[in-house]
Amino acid sequence: MKTDTAVRLPAYPGTGTGPTVLRRLGYVLLYSLLILVALLQILPLIWLLLFSLKNNQEVFDMAPFALPATPRWENYVKVWTEGNISLYFFNSVWITVVSVVFTVLFASLVTFAITRMRWKGRSLVLGLFMVGMMIPVHSTLIPLFSLFLKLHLTDHPLSVILSYIAFNMPITIMILLGFYYALPREVEEAAVMDGCSVHRIFFRIVLPMTASVIATTAIINMIYDWNEFIFVNTFISTDAYKTLTVGVQNFIGQYTTDWGAIGATLMISILPILIAFLVLSNRIVEGIAAGSVKG
Amino acid sequence: MRKKPIAMLLTLTLILAVFLSGCSNSGSDGEGEASGSGSDGKVTLKFMHLWPAGSSAQQNKLVNEIIKQYQTDHPNVTIKQEVLENEQYKNKLKILSASNELPDVGVTWAAGFLEPYVKGNLFAPLDDLLSGSLEGKFIAGTTEAYAVDSKTYALPIELNISPIYYNKDIFAKYNLQPPATYDEFLNVVKTLTDNGVVPIALGNKDRWTGSLWYMYLANRLGGDALEKAINGTGKFDDPALIQAAAEVQKLVDMNAFNKGYNGLSNDEGKSEFMNEKAAMYLMGTWELPNYTTNPDVPQEFKDKIGFFKFPTMDGGKSDINSWVGGPGVGLFVAQNSKVKDEAQKFVQYFVEKWGESSVTEAGVIPATKVDTAEVQLPQLYTDLLNELNQASSLTLFADVQMKPTAAQVHLDMIQALFGKAVTPEEFVKNHQEAIDKGN
Amino acid sequence: MDKVMSNRLVAALYVLPALLLLLVLIYIPIVLTGYYGLMQWDGIGAMTFIGFENYARLLHDATFWQSAYHTFLLALFSALSLIGYLMIALVLSGKIKGANLFRKIYLIPMLLSSVAIAQLWLKIYHPSNGVLNTFLESVGIGNPPAWLAEPSLVLYALFVPILWQYAGFYILIYYAALKNIPESLVEAARIDGASPWQIAFRIKLPLITEVIKVTIVLAVVGSLKYFDLIYVMTDGGPNGSSEVMASYMYHQAFRGFDFGYGSAVGFFLLVICLVVTWLLRKATASKDTIQYS
Repeated sequence: MKTDTAVRLPAYPGTGTGPTVLRRLGYVLLYSLLILVALLQILPLIWLLLFSLKNNQEVFDMAPFALPATPRWENYVKVWTEGNISLYFFNSVWITVVSVVFTVLFASLVTFAITRMRWKGRSLVLGLFMVGMMIPVHSTLIPLFSLFLKLHLTDHPLSVILSYIAFNMPITIMILLGFYYALPREVEEAAVMDGCSVHRIFFRIVLPMTASVIATTAIINMIYDWNEFIFVNTFISTDAYKTLTVGVQNFIGQYTTDWGAIGATLMISILPILIAFLVLSNRIVEGIAAGSVKG
Repeated sequence: MRKKPIAMLLTLTLILAVFLSGCSNSGSDGEGEASGSGSDGKVTLKFMHLWPAGSSAQQNKLVNEIIKQYQTDHPNVTIKQEVLENEQYKNKLKILSASNELPDVGVTWAAGFLEPYVKGNLFAPLDDLLSGSLEGKFIAGTTEAYAVDSKTYALPIELNISPIYYNKDIFAKYNLQPPATYDEFLNVVKTLTDNGVVPIALGNKDRWTGSLWYMYLANRLGGDALEKAINGTGKFDDPALIQAAAEVQKLVDMNAFNKGYNGLSNDEGKSEFMNEKAAMYLMGTWELPNYTTNPDVPQEFKDKIGFFKFPTMDGGKSDINSWVGGPGVGLFVAQNSKVKDEAQKFVQYFVEKWGESSVTEAGVIPATKVDTAEVQLPQLYTDLLNELNQASSLTLFADVQMKPTAAQVHLDMIQALFGKAVTPEEFVKNHQEAIDKGN
Repeated sequence: MDKVMSNRLVAALYVLPALLLLLVLIYIPIVLTGYYGLMQWDGIGAMTFIGFENYARLLHDATFWQSAYHTFLLALFSALSLIGYLMIALVLSGKIKGANLFRKIYLIPMLLSSVAIAQLWLKIYHPSNGVLNTFLESVGIGNPPAWLAEPSLVLYALFVPILWQYAGFYILIYYAALKNIPESLVEAARIDGASPWQIAFRIKLPLITEVIKVTIVLAVVGSLKYFDLIYVMTDGGPNGSSEVMASYMYHQAFRGFDFGYGSAVGFFLLVICLVVTWLLRKATASKDTIQYS
């Protein structure tokens, strides 16, 4: 009898029918898989930590997950003081924050105008943004450098910030687009009937409804800007404005490389973004509550 | 209720952005101004180099000392540094030259690297400096590598030759002596492989490392055949050059190199030697600090390291005192620099001071003559400097000799040769085509 | 409603700042890249106009087309990997205990810079003491290959870290999209007796179609332009066996001092992206996409 029901059992967990054994097995499998993947994802972080505590010899000789003979915390000290990392850290933070805020703001404005408003040429503008996504970055280095030179913006953080905004907007807009299409229109219609201006509709109604996707794009932009290298390297010359990614290069020499220091720098680099990510990623879930249509 | 936080955040960011840009703006107004002399005779010099404090600590320290001293002696001069690592430096130099925005003083490589810049009229000729206090101070052949059409466009500050470093302990364990002839060398290789030891450490991902091997083989077999083929007075289908390529593949077949060498960077290849898994390592004298002064390397390892010259080959055209090597980087002055005179004075000063201290303080052999009797040096340095003085010829690295596009072809071919993706005949044929193109 | 939402002035106000930045900082370089492609230029000296010679040379350049082939392979694998990410996101958005925690952990590699990821995988792929080969040897596989040195293997070996690098990115987007689906819809279906599979495939997926289409375009275009890990880990080697179009462009422009040709490659790459995107949108266009008229 038990075998009878077993044969007729659907093969997925979580259904309301069927013997609990198979359902439990399904769950166990699923969870083990999830945990395995989670371990694989977290191992790099552990590896990075160990890496930053070794010196050059140990980095190459020993297996990646072997513990160093003595943890070399001095890598961190050296990097923070000698390597000027504290300055680069500060620069990375403020440049990233400013860039992300403006990118997300501009992109939201544009996506709103394209999806919710009616005007001639909005398909064209959308097309223009999408094409903007396709240019390979290295092609733009020389033209942009010349441009900033003429604008006297070389060696100025604005060149980097403006570039980040310009280059990240297409992707941000594309992601926002998918979400904006799915937003219900009843709220706006109600607002218009109440006599709201477009600005109020955007800032008070639509924008809050998109909180979850804004958090998403904020994370994506943040990661891109924080880890970006080539623009900073090209447009910035003086130490005063360099960011962490360029600062890491300090430890790559003409003939030798200080790997332990690089590890320490990378570890320091990942901390703020990890924290910001943890904070923001909660907003993605919270976004649902704000999305409901209230009267 | 959602509006307030958003509005606040925006306003805050706006203020922050304006404030910080404003700060930077006023700061950069003084610096963003291209270097030049102000009305009160103040001169700002832009100097770009590739010795970051993190990795090239000793060179960086020396550079800063020289700059400090110069500024003290010339109080009206301020020197602004921009420091990048090697690869990024080359990148940036390229981008700057496209906009004709080179720094007043910068670092360059010789021969083929230098040529496009000279042709583009971006470097200033520095022959005046050679007839000044620097006259006769350079080792023969070093400044020539920086000359185009008999004018010198940069002054070298490094000189490197390439010995084969070896682990004396491993050799002793298998009763091996440093080989004097190539046959003896092959015997060493075979003995080591028979005993499960990797004979040669090599990281050929960067390709110039494999090029050293080819160059020596070409040199031992054909003398200056390679140089002639590169500068067009000879051809690449010279039998010596073909055979040199074949010898490389013979070494590959003998498993002379560590596993996966074609995908490993120089650092990764080097570590095979440093952790005593491989017995030999062909590399330049810039490696010496690792075997002498570097505090991170265990002393007992350093004590085991010696060197020998690349062995001679039967019937070959070269003697054992012919080296692959040559000047390393040099300093240039930008042609469109607004403070050219000051820049030239600084270059002259730098080369002199650098030459005096680079060996002792940074472990770098300068291109100016060093009196080994005067300075206290580790034994390996003294030995190699003496070898340098007795050298019969120096062959500059192939990828520096060649023009940029041809150099890339050469490097790609080296990787293909070591990976046995081309035959020796194809190897030389591709080289010839690249040289014929003239770029 | 119409009048308010057709206010041209407001639309212009909302769009202009972004558009301006786009035109100046992106379109000018695009045009200039195409322009440089018409020149013989080493990036340093003078430029000579040579018309379409560079582009003609490109069409016959076997190395370029090989790199194009590698790039298309990458794009294919990227698109296929989206299926996996979608599955993971579906699972995470369902009733799983600890979904929150899993979600956060899964996204961690996304935070790493390319430099860090490259170093990690270089250590994994190291021929003698790398994690992978040590593991293979311990289970009895005699002489595991040097993954990054074998021309036949290197490209596929690189795909793993490249795809892994972006897993978090796509999982995040899918997850946010799935979470945006009103819970009421899902509940209603559940009450009606739908199984988790049915809910996933018949309700959730169709509702996020737009987002899926966007990710397909992003994945493909992103792969076409991809550069970072290839450059750091193998530099296109050995001997071009892992070269992609973007790294080929970089080598021509910056290493080979042939900036005119490099620009031609770059411009051509852009055209390819355009064509592919257009094809993709045609292929995935559904008749019932809501068009706001």
